Amino acid sequence: MALRIGLEIPLPVIYPSPEVVMLKADKVTKIYDGKVILNDVSLSVQPGQITALIGPSGSGKTTLLKSLALLDYPDQGMISLDDITYNFPLSKRQEIQPPWPHVTIVFQQHFLWPHLTLRQNIMLPLKRKGIFARKQAEDLIESLGLTEFCDRYPNQASLGQRQRTALVRALVLEPAYILLDEVTSSLDVEQVSVILSHLQSLRERNIGILIITHLIGFANRAADQIVFLNQGEVLETGGVELLRSPKHERVRKFLSVIESAM
Amino acid sequence: MTVLEVLIKYQQGFLSGLKVTLQLSLIIWSSGLIFGTILGGLSARITWLALISRFGSFTLSGIPILVFLFWLHFPAQAVFNIVVDPFYTAAFVLSIVNLFAVTDIVRGALLEFPAQYNIAAKVCGISGLDTLLFIQIPIIFRQTLPTLIITQVGMLQATLFASLISVEEIFRVAQRINASIYKPVEIYTALGIFFLAVCLPLNGFAYWFRNTFTRNLSES
Repeated sequence: MALRIGLEIPLPVIYPSPEVVMLKADKVTKIYDGKVILNDVSLSVQPGQITALIGPSGSGKTTLLKSLALLDYPDQGMISLDDITYNFPLSKRQEIQPPWPHVTIVFQQHFLWPHLTLRQNIMLPLKRKGIFARKQAEDLIESLGLTEFCDRYPNQASLGQRQRTALVRALVLEPAYILLDEVTSSLDVEQVSVILSHLQSLRERNIGILIITHLIGFANRAADQIVFLNQGEVLETGGVELLRSPKHERVRKFLSVIESAM
Repeated sequence: MTVLEVLIKYQQGFLSGLKVTLQLSLIIWSSGLIFGTILGGLSARITWLALISRFGSFTLSGIPILVFLFWLHFPAQAVFNIVVDPFYTAAFVLSIVNLFAVTDIVRGALLEFPAQYNIAAKVCGISGLDTLLFIQIPIIFRQTLPTLIITQVGMLQATLFASLISVEEIFRVAQRINASIYKPVEIYTALGIFFLAVCLPLNGFAYWFRNTFTRNLSES
């Protein structure tokens, strides 16, 4: 506020609450082509916790992920990242400080660079980092069973190999918050179990994790918090007990459909 | 007289024609590639420039090169009462054609560059410069190079049109030699061999490059 003395310096709005460390969406609304995709959505991702975001297709889960990562700005609401809060719509004076890779996303479609091998995809973001980061990346490549495939190009790799590569690429960046969009969708049971143990070790390292998943069993085993999103609105939030005894009828119906499909 | 004998006997003529063809090609290639890349890059970002370049290439696509060449060589020079060396007229016309072709290729590649690769770079914390150097340029280069090579081969072949406005390039030299000794089979076979020797490896390279380095962008 003191810097407003005739200066046109774009600054983020910083509220004096630095003790709050989390990634948070507060009353976020997003509208595309007149259609409300997110409606007053509030959700928080806390360090050392896994939040599972579940809900039917088209309910706005990926849009919420992008909004949280400040890749796609909400039309209304607030996004807080640790001690920085952005109010939307942004005023002309405000400027977003790029939060990446402090916050990073693993996309459902992987978004691997097609001209690089799987190993190069993982190593490119580490180009300006030390040998330790590369060693760590090699260890992750091995632990996720990618060693023998990592000299392949994305178009030569299977869906599961690409998905694991995208995950390793994000993990080696040591983010404080990692947002995972359906990262288990192309994996077999064994690989899902490997991912689960990695997520648990990330949680132990105090990393905040938000995961979109349709695997209710996976969410049950991994998550500390469950958020159910439907038609752009949060219908229910709670612990994993929500999966066993949901209060909302729509959530109950969704879970029973998934259960009967398994 | 065999093809080889014709080539040896008239080597001076063929070499001078070859020199003119190569000079013409170098002007067309370099001007088209340099200015076409710049115009393509700018028109992918600047709307009014995109409109002008699209209008230019759309208009040119409707005019045969030969008509454009003849129009600039005969009526335009008569109207403006100037005389321009046919070599420069041909270089100008073919450079313009090449420039708009290259502009279209570059602009298309930039506009169709999949946004997800930039997003992936962003969330990985890769700087704008590194994204440009290690992601955008290599992908665009791989996508456009084969088409650019094939276009340049086409432009080399289009230099033959210059013979029709009296530029002493290789085809016109061949015609003159044929007019004096009348050995069309040997002379035009030699000419065909020359163009095959230059164009085939370039086309082959473009084909190999496309197969080897142009990854399927939709598959990741």
